[in-house]
Amino acid sequence: MDMKKVMKDYFLDLDQAAKDPDRKVAWCTSVGPAEILRAMGFEVFFPENHGAMLGATRISVDTIPKANAFGYSPDICSYLTSDVGAYLKGITPLTKAYGIESVPRPDILVYNTNQCKDVMHWFEYFANEFDAPIFGIHPPTHLPQVEDSHVADVVAQFEDLIRVLEALQGRALRQEDLKRTCALSKQATDLWAQVLETAMARPSPLSFFDGTIFMGPIVVLRGTEVARDYYRVLLTDLKLRAAARVAAVPGESKRIYWDGMPIWGRLRSLSDLFKSNQACVVASTYCNSWIFSDFDPQDPLPGMARAYLKIFINRNDRYKEDYIRKLVDDYAIDGVIFHEAKTCPNNSNSQYNLPARLRKSGIPAVIINGDLCDLRCFSDEQSATIIEAFVETL
Amino acid sequence: MEAGHLYWGIDCGSTQIKVVACDHDGRILHRRIGRTLFPLMEHVRKVLSGGGSGPSPLTDDQRGIKANHTVVATGYGRKHIDFAQGRLTEISAHFLGAQESLQLKGPYTIVDIGGQDSKVIEVQDGRIGQFVINRKCAAGTGAFIEELAHRLEVRLEDLTDLARAHDKKMTLNSYCTVFSGQEVIKILMQGERLENLIQALYASVVQRVLEMTNITTETVVFSGGVMNYNPVLIDLFQHALPDNKTYLVENAQYCGAYGAAIFARGVVEKQAGNFSKSEIRAQLVT
Repeated sequence: MDMKKVMKDYFLDLDQAAKDPDRKVAWCTSVGPAEILRAMGFEVFFPENHGAMLGATRISVDTIPKANAFGYSPDICSYLTSDVGAYLKGITPLTKAYGIESVPRPDILVYNTNQCKDVMHWFEYFANEFDAPIFGIHPPTHLPQVEDSHVADVVAQFEDLIRVLEALQGRALRQEDLKRTCALSKQATDLWAQVLETAMARPSPLSFFDGTIFMGPIVVLRGTEVARDYYRVLLTDLKLRAAARVAAVPGESKRIYWDGMPIWGRLRSLSDLFKSNQACVVASTYCNSWIFSDFDPQDPLPGMARAYLKIFINRNDRYKEDYIRKLVDDYAIDGVIFHEAKTCPNNSNSQYNLPARLRKSGIPAVIINGDLCDLRCFSDEQSATIIEAFVETL
Repeated sequence: MEAGHLYWGIDCGSTQIKVVACDHDGRILHRRIGRTLFPLMEHVRKVLSGGGSGPSPLTDDQRGIKANHTVVATGYGRKHIDFAQGRLTEISAHFLGAQESLQLKGPYTIVDIGGQDSKVIEVQDGRIGQFVINRKCAAGTGAFIEELAHRLEVRLEDLTDLARAHDKKMTLNSYCTVFSGQEVIKILMQGERLENLIQALYASVVQRVLEMTNITTETVVFSGGVMNYNPVLIDLFQHALPDNKTYLVENAQYCGAYGAAIFARGVVEKQAGNFSKSEIRAQLVT
């Protein structure tokens, strides 16, 4: 299956849905309850995916200052500022990519603060702009472990959400629909986990930079057959590549772990930099964040609650340290690069002493400063020097 | 390798181009320096060839390298030096330069303050253990000192003497060069002595560097042009690190270029020709 076609079909269908009075569109955060929305018949748009597109196309260079001037600080989430700025300027990367004039108008916006609170501010802005209802899931955060009481809390919030959605759609949720979307998400995420695990091979058939592209369907098409089918094909292909020792980085000699957000506007140059240093980024916190092992089609709401509570970003420091240590072992990692994103402290574990704790036990670690979308916070030269020097010293 | 082979290191930094040539024994035979100006390659060639007044590794057409010469580049401009036969980062170059100059046996930490960045490099067991570079900010770098000297209309070469003539310890609070500049103007308006302000300016540089990471080794080595030409910084580091042994690398401004030359020597003596990454790493760990 062709990734470009999968994404194109998804966006064109969303555009059609937004223009069709008989169909409804929900905006959802990237680790929000997409399975419920799809089971209730909503087409789902993910503004974070749009933010990543704005970053990758470097349109955000123009849109972030627009949002800053409007009153959104340069220090807050640059997905938010990229996206709000794009809206204020009346532009979207969807136009050049797919001929779509604008992002789809929402009939409801649903966020989950399991990742950060900036998504709430972001969605509130657009709820006001579109005069659309908004619903927030506010789960317990930064957990050492997920307890039954946490799950019950989130299940109750899901049930409240379902009542709101039922009122909007004028019909009740059919349990079999929810079981089906959860089953499809479970199948897709299990396949995505296996896709990432092919990078345990030496040489690795894929890098983090490939992963940031391959992950599109697990972000925007959870709960659909398309995502599941895409990863079935991708997994087969990557297994063949691994068996044939086709390397993502020819001459791979060092294996790197990447913690933190991608630097969307520099994916290509960073990928080339690692290649020229024969270093492959074989694992990352970011790509692994869409592995949700706890989806349970037989018990959908508790399964979803556990899956979305257990995500890395919603855990405490000890959990995060143990998680990275395990991946360092599993993927035979030589060193860890922490991307400290200026506008995303929740995804910048380097700010909380994690590199020092890893170094103490002999795991080399280094920090680069940058950002997911705001290239004003990134120095190409300095980062290249740090990455090259790090690889030289491993 | 033939007798008389010369190993050249070019450290193409943000403000200065430094060149060192050494022989098989690591003896420095030539040292050259010039400002980083543009077109870059024209100025690199000019500095490398000593303006035509000394031996040069460049062929007559200025595009290639003569036999019996090897050139390795480091510094922010390293990738632009097309005739270089090898490249390495300034982290590794300063380590090799300091190691060759001082021949220290135990663990030590290199503090290098450059024109646009500061580095703290921890050396363990004869190789780099870990390193940090300043964030994307001029505070704690030579650029910060230059900017404030310019605002205060003080010549760079006078700064150390002025700082040593302070009669009161003061602190500049801001991380930011622009904010620090505003702080300086405000303090001057309040009638503070220039000498006290300049001492505070240097103290803030030391503070910014020490905030980057904990120094855990007993021995600390200073490197880089800013340390070389602002000896009051060494006074301040020694004051802040009273239990540490400190050394300044001889001709500290050339430490990176010397490291690049030492690297060239090491690689050439193992294998002539182009260097691979694995050879670079092999060299760095020996």
